[in-house]
Amino acid sequence: MKRLYFVLSVLVALSMLLSACGAPATEKTVLNVWSFTNEINTMAIAFEGTHPDVDVVYTMIPMTNGEYQTKLKAAIGTADTPDVIALEAAFVKEYVEADFLADLGELLPIAEAAKTYPFVTDVGTNAADGVIKGFAYQATPGAVFYRRSLAKEYFGTDDPAEIQALMADMDKFIEMAAVIKEKSDGNTYMVGSSGDFQNPFFANRAQPWVVDETLVVDPMVEKYIETAKLFRDEGYEAQAQQWQEGWFAGMNDSLVDANGNSKQVFSYFLPTWGLPYVLAPNAKSADGAHDTSGDWGVVTGPLPYQWGGTWLGAMAKSPNLELAKEFIRFCTLDEKNLTNWATGVYTNDYLKAIDPQVPEDQVQAAGDFVSSQVVVEKITASFDDSELSAFLAGQNSYAGFAAAAPSVNAKLMTGSDDAIQRALNDPINQYLNGVIDADTMWTTWKDALRVEFPNLVIK
Amino acid sequence: MNQASLKRNYYGYLFIAPFVIAFLIFGLYPIYNTIALSFTDATLMSKTGNFIGLMNFERLFADDIFMNAVKNTWLLWILNFIPQVGIAMLLSVWFTNARLNIKAVGVWRALFFLPNLLMPAAVAALFFSLFSFYGPVNQFLVRSGFLPEAMQFLQDVTVTRSLVIFIQWWMWFGQTIIILIAGMTSIPLPLYEAAMVDGATSTQMFNRITLPLLKPILIYVFVTSLVGGMQMFDIPFLLTDGRGSPSGSIMTNNILMYLKFSSSKGHIGAASSVGVLVFFMTSICALAIFYFLREKDSATSKSAKR
Amino acid sequence: MFNNYKFNTNLMRVFVYIVLVIILIVTVVPIWLLIVNATRSTVEIQQGISFMPSTHLFENYGILLGRGLNLGRGFGNSLFVAVASTIITVYFSLLTAYGIVVYNFKGKKLFSNFIVVLVMIPMQLSIIGFYQYMSKLGLTDNYASLILPLIANAGSVFFGKQYLESVVINDLIDAARVDGASEIGIFHRIMMPLAVPGAMTMGIFAFVAAWNNFFNAFILISSIEKYTLPMLVQTLRGDVYRTEFGAIYLGLAVTVVPIILIYALFSRYIVSGIAMGSVKE
Repeated sequence: MKRLYFVLSVLVALSMLLSACGAPATEKTVLNVWSFTNEINTMAIAFEGTHPDVDVVYTMIPMTNGEYQTKLKAAIGTADTPDVIALEAAFVKEYVEADFLADLGELLPIAEAAKTYPFVTDVGTNAADGVIKGFAYQATPGAVFYRRSLAKEYFGTDDPAEIQALMADMDKFIEMAAVIKEKSDGNTYMVGSSGDFQNPFFANRAQPWVVDETLVVDPMVEKYIETAKLFRDEGYEAQAQQWQEGWFAGMNDSLVDANGNSKQVFSYFLPTWGLPYVLAPNAKSADGAHDTSGDWGVVTGPLPYQWGGTWLGAMAKSPNLELAKEFIRFCTLDEKNLTNWATGVYTNDYLKAIDPQVPEDQVQAAGDFVSSQVVVEKITASFDDSELSAFLAGQNSYAGFAAAAPSVNAKLMTGSDDAIQRALNDPINQYLNGVIDADTMWTTWKDALRVEFPNLVIK
Repeated sequence: MNQASLKRNYYGYLFIAPFVIAFLIFGLYPIYNTIALSFTDATLMSKTGNFIGLMNFERLFADDIFMNAVKNTWLLWILNFIPQVGIAMLLSVWFTNARLNIKAVGVWRALFFLPNLLMPAAVAALFFSLFSFYGPVNQFLVRSGFLPEAMQFLQDVTVTRSLVIFIQWWMWFGQTIIILIAGMTSIPLPLYEAAMVDGATSTQMFNRITLPLLKPILIYVFVTSLVGGMQMFDIPFLLTDGRGSPSGSIMTNNILMYLKFSSSKGHIGAASSVGVLVFFMTSICALAIFYFLREKDSATSKSAKR
Repeated sequence: MFNNYKFNTNLMRVFVYIVLVIILIVTVVPIWLLIVNATRSTVEIQQGISFMPSTHLFENYGILLGRGLNLGRGFGNSLFVAVASTIITVYFSLLTAYGIVVYNFKGKKLFSNFIVVLVMIPMQLSIIGFYQYMSKLGLTDNYASLILPLIANAGSVFFGKQYLESVVINDLIDAARVDGASEIGIFHRIMMPLAVPGAMTMGIFAFVAAWNNFFNAFILISSIEKYTLPMLVQTLRGDVYRTEFGAIYLGLAVTVVPIILIYALFSRYIVSGIAMGSVKE
C-alpha cells in the first residue's frame, strides 16, 4: 500500500509541476475569436500587427464530432460568449437567421467598394429582413476538373474552352458520359460518384426547400435523382463515395475494382479549396506509381455552384462590438489583407515578426480564392506561373475560378438546407441500389425530416 | 438491534453526505433542466420557449420513427450483450481456474482491454474504410469468389447492424472481463477447495459457487450494460452518416435525440422529451432486473455465507 | 486416473490457448491498423488501409510538433485532471458505497435505488444545461467543472456498492469497533485495504474515462493553456479542408500510451489485493 500512495503522490506532484503555468496579464483590449479552423489565426496575428493595442485571443474548437457547434449553442446565451465567431457554410445560415449576431450593415459600403461577390454577401444576409450578419474572406465557387489525356483520347481535344462547350449544360454532360463509356469499354467513368453533381443541381433550384413552413421539392431535385439513377444504371459513375478511398484513388489513376481491373475517372466537381487541398495532394498515388499532376484542366462545368467557405460574424452582445466589426472588416474586406492572404505574403517569418510565439506551421500559402472581385482582378495574373497552374498544364487556376464565380447564386440558401439535403442521401442511395422504389424513397425522406423539423408542413 | 448500533447507523448519513451535496450542487440542475425543457418548444436558436404540455411526447408517438429507434437500440444491445457477457464469462472462468493455470493472465487481460482505450471516431473511420466499396473486404470477398461483385456494405442493413454489434462487443468485452475477474477472485478459495474434495465438477462449481456469489457483480454488469446500451451513440453515429443510415437501421435513441438537438434550430425541448422517455424506459427495466434478481434477505444470507 | 486427469487438463489448456489467440488476433488487428496509420502520410491513409507500416512517422511527428502544440503541458494537464478525477471518484464512491452497505439508516433503500436511477440519466443532452449552469457559477474554463461533479459519480458508487456487498466482513468491523476504532477510521484502515482490487478496477475505468474525455472538456474548457492531451490532438483537425490524418493517428497513439502504462502499473493490484484479502480471511 505504501508504494501505491507513493506512486499516487508522485503522479499528483508531477502533474501539478507540468500544468503549472502563468500567462502575464496584458493591458491591451482583448478580442475573443472562436473558430473551427487554424487558418483565421493567421489573419488574427496580422490584425495584431496593424492594431498593436489589441490582443486577439484565438480559440480553436474542432467541429469533427460537433464540438464547435455544441459549444457555440451552449455559450450564446451566457456571459462567456466570444466577440467574433467563425461559421462554416453548413451552419452559417442558422446563425444569420437567429438573433445572436450583430447587424454588420455599416460594412456594406466597404463591401461594395471591394466588389465582394454577391453570393458571398447573400449567404451572410438574413433573407427574411435583409440584415447582413456575416462576411467571408474567401469565395468558394465550384468548378469541374477533368483529365486532359482522357479528354484528348475521347474527344480529340483538351482545350478548356472546347471541353466547356461539350459540357455546357447537364444534358450535354450526360451525352459526354455516354461517349466516354462507349469509347472506353466502360473502363472510364464520367465521375467518381453521383454525389459529385448533387451540389450543382441543388444550387440551381428555382425555389428554396421551405416556403411558408412548407416543404418544396423543386424540379431540379427530381432532375438530380433522375440523373443519379441514370449514372448508376448506365455505369457512368464509379460508385465511390466522396471522401472515400475509391474517390481519392480515381484522382491519381490508381482506381482498381474488386476484380483487379483498372478504372479511370474523367472529372471531379470541386470548389476553390478542392484544388490545393484535395485534388493536388491526391494526384500522386501513395506508392508513387501513379501521378496525374499536369494532366488536369478546369472549366466552369454544366451548372454554377459553390461549396463550403467560412463566414465571420460578431456577437450582438459583445462588449467590444466596434472592435469586433473592425476585425471582420480587416479579415474579409480589407484589400491589403486579402491581397496578402491570397498571394502568400503571410509567411511564418512574417507572422513571427509580429508575435514570436507563433507556431512553426502557422502560415498561409498563396492561392486561396478571396471574396473581393477587386483583389481577384488585381492578382489573377500573378498566378500564371504558379505551382497550381503547372498542375493544370499551364491553365491559370485563379482565372478558372474567377470565370466561375460571378454566375454563382446563393440566394436560396437557408439554415435548414444542410439537414434537409443530408436526410435525402440515404434514401437516394437505397433507391440507386435498387433496394426501394422512388415512392418509398420520397416517403422515407419526408418521414426523416419530421425528426428535425417538427413544424414543417410536408405534403 | 441495540441502542448503540441504532445510533451508529446515523453514520450512514455522514458517509453519503458528500455524494448528496455534490449531487445537489452539480447534478440536480441539469436533470431538472432536461425534464422541464421536455414540456416546452424551446430551441437553442431562439431565446424563449413556450410550455406546450405533452405535445413533444405526442409527436414522438405520431409516427414510428421513435419506436423504430427504440427497437433498434434494444436489438443492437441484446445482440451485443449476449456474446459480450458470454465470452467474457468464459474467459474469466479460464483465467481464474487454478487447474488450467493460464500464464500471464494480466497480459491477456490488458490486451483484451486495449480496444476500450481507442477513440470511437478512429475506430469508426477504420471500419468504414475496411468495408467501403473499394476497400479490402470487398477485394478479398470478390477475388476469392464469395461475392460476384463488390457491394456497398455500409448501405446494407444487415451488414451495418452486424458491424455495429461487432464493434461494440470488441470495445467492451475486455472491460467486462476485468470486472468479472475482480468479482471472481474475491470469492474465497476454500469454498472451491471444499467442493473439489467433495468431487464437484467444474460445471457444478461454476453453477453452485461462482454464479451465486458473483450475483451482485453480474447485476452491475447487466445494469450498466443496459444503461450503456440504451444510450448507445458513438459507434452507430460515426460509422455511417450520423443519421442511423442505412434505412434508419442503426438509428438509436440517442442518435434521434442528438438529431433533434443539433437540428438547424436546435430543438432542445423535443430532444429532451426523447431523453426523458429513454430514461423512464431504462429505469423501469433496471428496477425490474433488481426486483427479479434480488436476494430474499440480503443481510441474513450474507452472514450465513461467511 | 491421475494421468488421465492431467491429460484432459493439458488438452483443455491447448484448446483454451487456441481460443485466446483467435480472440487476440480479432482484438489486435484493428489496433495494429491504427498504429500503422500513425506511420503513414495523409494521402496514403485517404487512399486505403494497409497492414504494412510506412515511412512517414517522423514527418507526422514533425506536423504534430509544428502546430506549436505544447504537448508536454497538455500531458501535465491530462495527468492532473485524470489523477484528480480518479482519486475523487474512487474515494468518494467507496465512501458512499460503504455508507450504504454497512449502515442501516432510514431511507437507505430509497437512496440506493436513487443511485441506480441516476446511472440511467443520458448525459449527452444535459451538457448544454450544464455549461450554462457552470457559466452562472463562474466555473467554465475551470477544471473544477470537470472534476468536482465526480464526487457524485453514480456509476462508480453503484459498482462500489455491488463490489463491497461481496467483500465487507461485518465481523472484522465489529472487532475493530471493540478495539475502539472510529467509524471513519474503520473505513480508512480496514475497508480501504480490503477493497483494493475493487478500487483499482474502479480507478482504472475512472482514469480511462477522464483521460479520453475530450467532448465535454471542449465544451467546458476554453483556454488552450488548459487543454488536455486528447484535446490538443483533436485540434489537429482544425483544417477542415486539409486534415492531417497521419499526425492525428500518431497523436492518438501518443495519448493512449500513458493509459497503457498506468494500466500496467495498477492492474497488478487487482490481483495482489485479492491475495491480501484471502490471507486475512
